[in-house]
Amino acid sequence: MKILHVYRSEPDETTKKLVEIVSRDREVDTFNLNVENPDYAQLVDKIMAADKTISWW
Amino acid sequence: MAKSLGIFVTNPDNMRHVVGVTKAAVDKGCKVKLFFTWTATKLTQDPEFEGLCKIADVSICLDSYRKMGFDQNVVPAGMVKEKMATQTQHGIIIEDYECYLSL
Amino acid sequence: MEYKKSCFIIRNKDYALDGMRSALGLAVENMYAYTHLLNVEIDKLDDNNLDRLEMLRDMEGEVYSNVQANVENNGFEAMSVEELGEKLREMDVIVPYGIK
Repeated sequence: MKILHVYRSEPDETTKKLVEIVSRDREVDTFNLNVENPDYAQLVDKIMAADKTISWW
Repeated sequence: MAKSLGIFVTNPDNMRHVVGVTKAAVDKGCKVKLFFTWTATKLTQDPEFEGLCKIADVSICLDSYRKMGFDQNVVPAGMVKEKMATQTQHGIIIEDYECYLSL
Repeated sequence: MEYKKSCFIIRNKDYALDGMRSALGLAVENMYAYTHLLNVEIDKLDDNNLDRLEMLRDMEGEVYSNVQANVENNGFEAMSVEELGEKLREMDVIVPYGIK
C-alpha cells in the first residue's frame, strides 16, 4: 500500500498526528501544494503511482 | 495508458490547483472528471471554469449552487444543465475512476 | 461485492452540515460513509439534519467527533484523534473536507 500525502497548507499538529498513524508500516510519498508554483505534472505522476492519495487541507 | 482521475472539489480557494492538476492530467492523456460541491460551486463564476469544462467532465451539486445564492436556471458558462446534479456524481468518481483527489 | 469505505474529516463549522449531507450521498450510493467533526463544535442539529443522521445510521454510517459537546448535544459517537487515525487506515477514500 503506497500512500501519497498532499499538503495544501502547512500541516498542524493534528494533521501530522493523523498522517503518522495512517502512514505506519506503509510506503509513503508526499507532495507540497503550498508553494508558489507547484509542479502539477509531477503531482499527477505521484497520484498515478500511489494506491491512495490524501489531500490534507 | 494513463489512468483516469476523479477530483472532488470542496474548497473555494483551490481553483489554481484544480486547473493546474486537471491540465497536467489531461496533457498526460488522463480522463478527468470533476465534481464541485458546497462553497466550491462559487468557482463556476471563475474565469477559468469554462475552460475546465472543455477539457474535463465537469459537474456541480445543484443543491449547493442554489444554497450559494445562484439561480438554478442560470447554467454556468461551459456547462450543460444535465451536469448540475447530485452527490451521485461524487459516487461515480469513486467507483469509476482509478485515481482520486480532493481539493 | 465489496463496498467502499469513505470518511469525511471536517474542521470548520460552516462545512459540517454539508459534509454530513455529502457523506449521506455516498451512503445512498452503497458506500460506507463516515464523518468526523475534528476539533470543531457545531450547534444542535435541527429536525432535518437529525433525519439525515438517522438515515446515515440506517445505512451503517456514523458521525464521530473528538469534541465532547458534539457528543452530548447531538449524540455523535466519541472518537479521539488517535482513534480517527486508526479508522482512516481502513478507508478507501479520505476527504479532508472544505477549509480548515
